[in-house]
Amino acid sequence: MNISIKENSSIRTNKNNVGCKRKWGENQKGKEKKDVTTSSTSKIAKILNYPEMNSDREIVDKTGYILLAVFTNMMPPNSKKQSLPPNVLGNLPENVIDDILLRLPLRDAVRTCILSKNWRYKWCKLPQLKLDQTLWETTNDLIPPTVKITDIIYQLLTLHVGHISKFILSIFDLINCPKIDNLIYFLSRNGIQHLVLQFPIGNPYKLPSSFFTCLQLRHVTLHRCILRTPPVFKGFHRLLSLELSQVTICTEFLGRFISRCPLLEHLLLEYVDNANNIEVNAPKLRSFVFTGNLHFLHLKCVPLLAKVSHESTASLLKAGKNDFVNFFNSIPALEHLHWNYNSFRFMVTGPGEVPTRLPSALNCLKHLYLSEICLEERVELLCALCLIRSSPNLEELEIKGPFDLIGKLLAPVLWSAVDEIPASFSDVTYTHLRAVKIKGVAGAWGEMQLIKVLLAKSPVLVRMVIEPDVVGDQSLKVLAKITKFQRASPKAEVVYNVDAYPGYNLA
Amino acid sequence: MAEAASSTIEKNNLTLKSSYGDEFVLEESIAIQSVTIKNMVEDGCSSSVIPLSKVDTGTLIKVIEYMKMHSSTSSNEEEIQNFDKEFVRISIKTILNILEAANFLDIRSLLDLCAEAVANRIKNKTPEVVRKIFNITSDFTPEEEAEIRNETPWAFEGDLDHSLD
Repeated sequence: MNISIKENSSIRTNKNNVGCKRKWGENQKGKEKKDVTTSSTSKIAKILNYPEMNSDREIVDKTGYILLAVFTNMMPPNSKKQSLPPNVLGNLPENVIDDILLRLPLRDAVRTCILSKNWRYKWCKLPQLKLDQTLWETTNDLIPPTVKITDIIYQLLTLHVGHISKFILSIFDLINCPKIDNLIYFLSRNGIQHLVLQFPIGNPYKLPSSFFTCLQLRHVTLHRCILRTPPVFKGFHRLLSLELSQVTICTEFLGRFISRCPLLEHLLLEYVDNANNIEVNAPKLRSFVFTGNLHFLHLKCVPLLAKVSHESTASLLKAGKNDFVNFFNSIPALEHLHWNYNSFRFMVTGPGEVPTRLPSALNCLKHLYLSEICLEERVELLCALCLIRSSPNLEELEIKGPFDLIGKLLAPVLWSAVDEIPASFSDVTYTHLRAVKIKGVAGAWGEMQLIKVLLAKSPVLVRMVIEPDVVGDQSLKVLAKITKFQRASPKAEVVYNVDAYPGYNLA
Repeated sequence: MAEAASSTIEKNNLTLKSSYGDEFVLEESIAIQSVTIKNMVEDGCSSSVIPLSKVDTGTLIKVIEYMKMHSSTSSNEEEIQNFDKEFVRISIKTILNILEAANFLDIRSLLDLCAEAVANRIKNKTPEVVRKIFNITSDFTPEEEAEIRNETPWAFEGDLDHSLD
């Protein structure tokens, strides 16, 4: 027999005696359908005699998986109380047990050693270990953390067998501890591939030279560490991802380090102490997060770099327009840009220094996200316009205003500059732009002109979301203006979030 | 035309047979979330019924339910997250069955989901409670147990959960 549930799924049973001759698809009418459905499935359930299904939940799949819903409802209600056959968990395949143990904090995984003899050494073979505060935070005694961590590392290393491919050490208040040096040495000889060392507070940790002998490394994350230049460094030939946050490293060596990781795809440099040029030579690099001063960054060879996120910390050191132009010139494959505008506040100085558009267009750029930008600030508006004008193939644009703008404009936008905006876009059409989101609109001239231009120049625009930075009548006035703007796309929907203001400021 | 062609490809059906002998017809595009099945399809072994001798009917129904949801183009990320959350609110026995099936069928995301669910029933619990939940009998003498606790005392300190949930 054949009961078809839906066009694309059916259940057949090889048992003969099922008293349902009607196809499910034929029972389209209300009550009749339900009756037939229930009776037929009850028989199926009996035939299959399947006791383990539980009845706690009702599964009614939108796509019409009716059988399952009724099926589960037919099951005995006390399934939760059924006890398991002994040792079911311990008899799972080893890789599955590892999968379970790897999802536990190390403390919980280690504790399984006392369950039974079968479990005695299961955790000892785990290829991934994570040591963090949770290991000793719950303890009641007053042993200083350093002593404690030393003991724990000793106990772990004496019990552990086999390779350790991933190791995470994340601890506060570490005084320079020789045992960690031993640990790095131990890891270097046990096939470490993924190393994370984080010391958020207190003294930074100076890595021993054995770090540079971990040649299997694929992922490295270091937070508050000191990397001394080793006498010999041939490179990490398998390294795919490098994240350095508040790391002290000689900039010349950092450049050499990066260029000797030929497979590097992801790089994060955050507050890396530097006073000289960081040279980035990474032919496979695809993603780059940089928090620092652009002036000291030299992207020498990054032909595949597609995703960039940048926030500047250069509040005192001046950078010029050449940094801006050079930066984008060196990323020909850029597809995704998140630019935190804190940067621009100090970056481009003096009038007339922001180019109308970049010398070479960002033809690959599809997603542009500008955050912390104040479109009432002259330089910031000009930079935003420059980037938007230079990106003819944009698909998605998001602009988010700054949090704390309380009447402190450094150099407000000039009327003359705003009047020129429409003309400066005369030769651009955004034939791919589908989504625009602008948060923190106060109704300033520059903002309104930009919105007007985007609506007029985007024939396939689907949705523009605007969240105002003003309330009440002020907000409605902005809305009234926007509704008058001409739209190139007949399908464009403009969503104006009248009450966005409070949420926006808290966000 | 192109559309018609692609829809006939999608409607290529496979028949999966549970260890109880029940057969389920499923679109190939849904079934190949299982790497095991995908390999069979690629090796040309899928023209007849695919026997899954290690998966019983109830478990197979759950696995199919999961695969259908995760291949559905109409559900968004949030719906899938909610589905996953509900999916593992079942008895530990059923979870372990699905876990084994997911391992055999090589469906990574389902394996992850169930492993996480099992881990959550071990996390922060006393060894006594974990033994009860999973029906494990200790075969250590009290002396042996004391010795093991002493090896890694930090793992047994602090407030542990005594509840069976």
